[in-house]
Amino acid sequence: MDRLNRRAFLRSTLGVGGAAALWPSARALGANDKIIMGVMGLGGRGTYLAQKFAERPEVEIAYLCDPDTRRFARVREAVEEEQDRSPKMVQDFRKILDDQSVDVLINATPDHWHALGTILACQAGKDVYVEKPLAHNIWEGRKMVEAARKYKRVVQTGMQSRSAPYTHKAKEYIRSGKLGSVYLVRVFNMMQHPKQASVPDGPVPAGFDYDLWCGPAPKRPYNPSRAWLNQFDYSCGPIAGDAVHQFDLARFLVDDPPYPSAVAQTSAIRSLVDGRDMPDTQMALFEYDGLTITLDATLWTPYMKKIPAGVRDSDQFPNWPFCSTKVEVLGTEGFMCFGRHGGGWQAYDRDGELVHSEYGRQGDKEHQDNFIQCVRTREKAMSDVQIGHLSVLPFHLANISYRVGNQRLRFDGATESVTNCDEANRYLKRQYRPEWTVPENV
Amino acid sequence: MARQARSCDVVLCVALVSVCCPGVRARWLPTDDVKVRLETTELGGPKIVVEYDLKDPNVSPESPAYVFLRYSKDFGKNWQLLSTDALRGNGFDIVAKPGHKEVVWWGTDQTAVADLGQVEIRVRAIAMARVPAGRFVMKSLPGGGRDESKAAPPDVNLPLYYIAKYETTVAMYADYLNEVGGEGAGWNSRMAKADRCGIVQESDHTYHVAPGREDYPVTYVSWYDAMGFLQWCGLSLPTEAQWEKAVRGGLYLDGDQTKKQPNPLPERRHPWGDEAPNAGGVYRCNFDGPDDGFERLAPVGSFRRFAGPYGVCDLAGNVAEWTLNWYTTSYHVGLDGFRMARGGSWMAVPEGCDAVTGATQLPLKESSIMGFRGVRNSAVESK
Repeated sequence: MDRLNRRAFLRSTLGVGGAAALWPSARALGANDKIIMGVMGLGGRGTYLAQKFAERPEVEIAYLCDPDTRRFARVREAVEEEQDRSPKMVQDFRKILDDQSVDVLINATPDHWHALGTILACQAGKDVYVEKPLAHNIWEGRKMVEAARKYKRVVQTGMQSRSAPYTHKAKEYIRSGKLGSVYLVRVFNMMQHPKQASVPDGPVPAGFDYDLWCGPAPKRPYNPSRAWLNQFDYSCGPIAGDAVHQFDLARFLVDDPPYPSAVAQTSAIRSLVDGRDMPDTQMALFEYDGLTITLDATLWTPYMKKIPAGVRDSDQFPNWPFCSTKVEVLGTEGFMCFGRHGGGWQAYDRDGELVHSEYGRQGDKEHQDNFIQCVRTREKAMSDVQIGHLSVLPFHLANISYRVGNQRLRFDGATESVTNCDEANRYLKRQYRPEWTVPENV
Repeated sequence: MARQARSCDVVLCVALVSVCCPGVRARWLPTDDVKVRLETTELGGPKIVVEYDLKDPNVSPESPAYVFLRYSKDFGKNWQLLSTDALRGNGFDIVAKPGHKEVVWWGTDQTAVADLGQVEIRVRAIAMARVPAGRFVMKSLPGGGRDESKAAPPDVNLPLYYIAKYETTVAMYADYLNEVGGEGAGWNSRMAKADRCGIVQESDHTYHVAPGREDYPVTYVSWYDAMGFLQWCGLSLPTEAQWEKAVRGGLYLDGDQTKKQPNPLPERRHPWGDEAPNAGGVYRCNFDGPDDGFERLAPVGSFRRFAGPYGVCDLAGNVAEWTLNWYTTSYHVGLDGFRMARGGSWMAVPEGCDAVTGATQLPLKESSIMGFRGVRNSAVESK
């Protein structure tokens, strides 16, 4: 039965109205059915994902969507190079959701659109591949999990390093006990960002639906130089947005501890005094049951380097002391240095002797494979929405601590709330614009 | 070589001479009647004299030709660019007048030319536009940001440079491939698509242009391909600032030295002014859709009525153009950084075909919406 026939069959057996209201586009995909996707957000990551999914013969990109029409050409061309059918170009993602032939929404928007875009997609019966960090705040993350579960949707978070085979080998190694008992994991994210430019507010460029871009976030006057990543209104920050990869790896390596019970951190804007409200320096300590995870994060350390292109996907290791995206796992018997981006890992014994080395390859393809497979099988994805939620949640807490004067916060995972600072709980959720509100009951 | 041993002789050389490969002349400016002779001098050693006629009447100080010479001394197997340091005369580099030209290549003994009969010299010319030194209003932000709001924009001062009037064409690029691309370098199979590029590779690694595609801008060229072509010519990619100044013009169109021609629209959005590309039902460049007369690419110069203030064509639409600039963020550190492409394309919305919109692209990207043009940075005025 081909795809259209199956849909017609569902309509005829369930009744058009009933089927649409109950499960708008949840169709049973056959092994040979193409998975129809729409891509929301056509920046660098959205363009990359659109192209990568378009390369797959089992996928068709039916929609490309961005409030800024000036972004259309680059990604449309890339997709048309990979598939026969031209995608529809739309500014408003709701046109994707309204199309019942679409199975999947790729959500590669700025942070402030992750939750609402994902929840509305779940309500419309779409599976979702949503970029990290999963949510703009803790409450939104919980609502995303609830929506995925309620509507039985596959929601994959774009934390692809979790799918890399060398990551799984590292986890096996730690599980074997060769490092002894692991009590401390150190996460590094030490970057080099430029200052953001400073120019006056100005008119919104033609072709850009700025109101839609703002969506649930405040509609501040348009400023061409404002980097959304540096503002709490739109983002979890450049540290959380990047370090969440390493933090997710750290959690994965030690069997995904759920919630930290406390967060202590100190953050400040030291070097990049340019009008941002996000810190450029963040040293944090997350207390889990029997485990401490620390975060060393900076945005002004040029000697610290991401793993070079020539090292990624090769039989080489990064220069560990100056590796900006490493994870160190400290056990009672041994030590592991692990690199993101396919940097591989090396383990040392109690005498500091190198005892195991494993080269790495990046996990993008495997992560996308996993998502495609789960869309067909209805299994939970490798970076299921709950995992995405729990991997970014500690960063939200660290940011909240920063906003309440670097206080140490105690956290109750059962209620997902702070227990020792009422002011901190104000930041668990954001204020929404009325027309773009994440509902309490998803 | 016996003929050269005789001092003060003037030897008429039988060297092979060509303008460019047959059938791929389009968009090289014609250089006719090329003649080469060898002269030996008593004190200066041997020299080769190249003569040709540059007949295009449109060549002028404002619209000069960039002329470069390449030579082979092994029957055309390997070719090299003749360095301007070794040349004298009125017919190389930036040439500002049409007419008979003579180029003297000194120091030919250093090139170890054993037999002049083996030597081939090719003369090629590209139509350029002169952009005088001076300030202009740069509105794009570094790294692809956009700023259309500056009440008092900073002036960016650029020295004199020359920029190609047209994007590099399929024919020009195929000519380049036929000279250097014997192993396939610079070509990829997508270039063979006749509706988007049209350069076909033969089994012997020669190249031909699909019929009718000669004057279209070359596409599916990576940043490295573009740089390879331009280095072959002795040119460079424009910086973002150079590209944007070609769109808007300087504060004075004759430059800051004379300041006689104030730019009437120094902050224009498009090469022709501030009107949208499709305002009033007039189509000023090739953007998305067929209404402008082109479903996909257009031959270069199809919208020359709407050229920029220096006569540079197709800066808006048709193909976005690689620039020299990198786009680097922390996310990309350690990678081969993104480069900026400017100008919109045949797939872009009209608003994207302006002076400030840029797109980041990985340098290895080969795309049907991206091409390039060259720039000659010059510290001296044209000849």
